[in-house]
Amino acid sequence: MLLKTKQLSKSFGGLKAMNKVDFELPKNEIRGIIGPNGSGKSTFFNLVSGIYDTDPGSYIEFDGHDITNAPAHKIAEYGLSRTFQLLRLYQDMTVLNNVMSGYHTRIPYRFFDAVVGRKKIWDQEKIIKEEMMDLLSFVGLADYAELNASELSGGQRRLLVLARAIAMKPKLLMLDEPAAGLSPVNVDNLMKIIMQLKDKYGLTLIIIEHILKVVMDTCNTVTVFDHGQKIAEGSPQQVKDDNAVIEAYLGKKMNDEEMRKALAV
Amino acid sequence: MDKFKQIIADYPFIAFIIAFGILALLPPFVLTDVYQSHLASLIFVNIIVAAGLNIVKGYCGQVTVGHVGLFAVGSYTAGTLFLYMGMGFWVTLPIAIIVTAFFGVAMGIPSFRLEGPYLALATLGGGEAIRLFIENGNFFRSTFGISDIPAPSLFGYNFDTPDRYYFISMTIMIIAVYFSFSILRSGVGRAFMSIREDPICAAAAGINVKKYKILAFILSAMFAGAAGAVYAHLPPGYIHPNNYTVIEMVTFLAMVVLGGLGHIWGGIIGAIVITIVYDLTRPLYKYQLLIFGLTIIFTILFMPKGIGGFIDRYFITKRFKAKTGAEKNVT
Ligand SMILES: Nc1ncnc2c1ncn2[C@@H]1O[C@H](COP(=O)(O)OP(=O)(O)OP(=O)(O)O)[C@@H](O)[C@H]1O
Ligand SMILES: [Mg+2]
Repeated sequence: MLLKTKQLSKSFGGLKAMNKVDFELPKNEIRGIIGPNGSGKSTFFNLVSGIYDTDPGSYIEFDGHDITNAPAHKIAEYGLSRTFQLLRLYQDMTVLNNVMSGYHTRIPYRFFDAVVGRKKIWDQEKIIKEEMMDLLSFVGLADYAELNASELSGGQRRLLVLARAIAMKPKLLMLDEPAAGLSPVNVDNLMKIIMQLKDKYGLTLIIIEHILKVVMDTCNTVTVFDHGQKIAEGSPQQVKDDNAVIEAYLGKKMNDEEMRKALAV
Repeated sequence: MDKFKQIIADYPFIAFIIAFGILALLPPFVLTDVYQSHLASLIFVNIIVAAGLNIVKGYCGQVTVGHVGLFAVGSYTAGTLFLYMGMGFWVTLPIAIIVTAFFGVAMGIPSFRLEGPYLALATLGGGEAIRLFIENGNFFRSTFGISDIPAPSLFGYNFDTPDRYYFISMTIMIIAVYFSFSILRSGVGRAFMSIREDPICAAAAGINVKKYKILAFILSAMFAGAAGAVYAHLPPGYIHPNNYTVIEMVTFLAMVVLGGLGHIWGGIIGAIVITIVYDLTRPLYKYQLLIFGLTIIFTILFMPKGIGGFIDRYFITKRFKAKTGAEKNVT
């Protein structure tokens, strides 16, 4: 298993945002996570990536390392990368510097070499820059490399956070609503790019997504959260037909017509 | 020309050797009197301080209003080492840098928990504490200041007049700027910027936020320490607590803000402009704090990225237009 959690819990005051979740993810899988607003999807990401501390009794393992309450930067060093629901772009940095900063864990030279400005730094910086420009071309942002991230459109920003998260060549990439707010055409385009990047870099993916069509079309397995608990898990088809899911997530059992509409979003 | 550019890109220190050569040839033309030479050294001292301040404030985004205290630590380490142990510049300089680095750690630790105005208050407290400490002990000759701190000599040559000391301050400035460029253009500079923009995202990207924050404080303190020592030994070699007040702090801040916060040339441009303006407005000393305070406010309002950012903007827009035909990425 690439990622494994046991009894993963987190409370905020009295609220159990994550309640004893056992989760396993094998390599190379594309996992979807769905659930109503406030069901704990983003909290799950924040716990796994070390942004939040877990409650006592929780256990998280990533790629053979016990990462329970490890600092976020350590977890990233093990090869876990993520995006944020609110993007957290580096607004006042150039597009190129945004992706290059994602390369941090792979930088081969030492701090001291950087201070004294040895030639090998500039050689390596040149290589990093070329590789990151290729990545930008791949997502279609090469022309914007010198602009500030704040100057990009909504769709371009989503591509940029994706590129920045991939720059570290992660083993596991966790995307928090990557397509939120995009038009249907752009959603398709983004998903196509994500799938190409998955193949190119051999990624394992977890995608939180509200757009059901995306989840149904791309994920191998879907995990459903509600009130901080895992209420279902299985293939998209299984999950769609699960009574508990239908109740919690879709509100009521849908007839075929309604289901078609929901999936066409 | 392209080949030349390539060489500079591969070996940036060549650019600094050239800069050194040019600055070394200047004195006969521009430093026509003692006062001009003295002013030139002041500019260099301020460039060192501002380049360091730009690391912690401009790049790493950590508000610090105590930097002048670190500058004072550099000066007073040099001054007291001379006073009590008779040490000369070549010994006091490295010791001042090391001692100030430790003060930088102390100044930086609050940044683990505090941000923005709260961090500003904490560092202001730190800077003022240092000044009050210096001001209230006879150990530091607070009333009359420490005087006759000797200029260095090298191979029997004495740099004891302003036009000679020019070469000392200029050389150290070039070295300091070289270090700042190397640091800021590498992954270390990017890590600093990421922390400024979003520490949570930076951590998730593998950056050890505490480590880099404290590193930024230490580095900028070392610059301040070096500048302080160079300033202390500047002929006639006189330091007094009055030279390390909040007015000087505002002046340093005005330098980085005007030059361009987080711009690699920011501190340097700002230090040159502000030192000259500061000197020209000396007769209006009552209003200097006001002038530099307003400079900061107006720059932030109308030119948030300072002179450096303003110039960059022009070229970036031009290149973007050439590439895409669009005036701007209008969204
Ligand atoms: N830092 C925090 N402090 C307090 N409460 C929090 C915090 N983070 C999350 N919560 C609470 O935990 C619950 C789960 O939030 P979470 O963001 O994980 O939901 P989500 O499934 O991602 O929802 P959405 O679909 O709206 O993004 C919510 O009730 C939220 O208010
Ligand atoms: Mg969420």
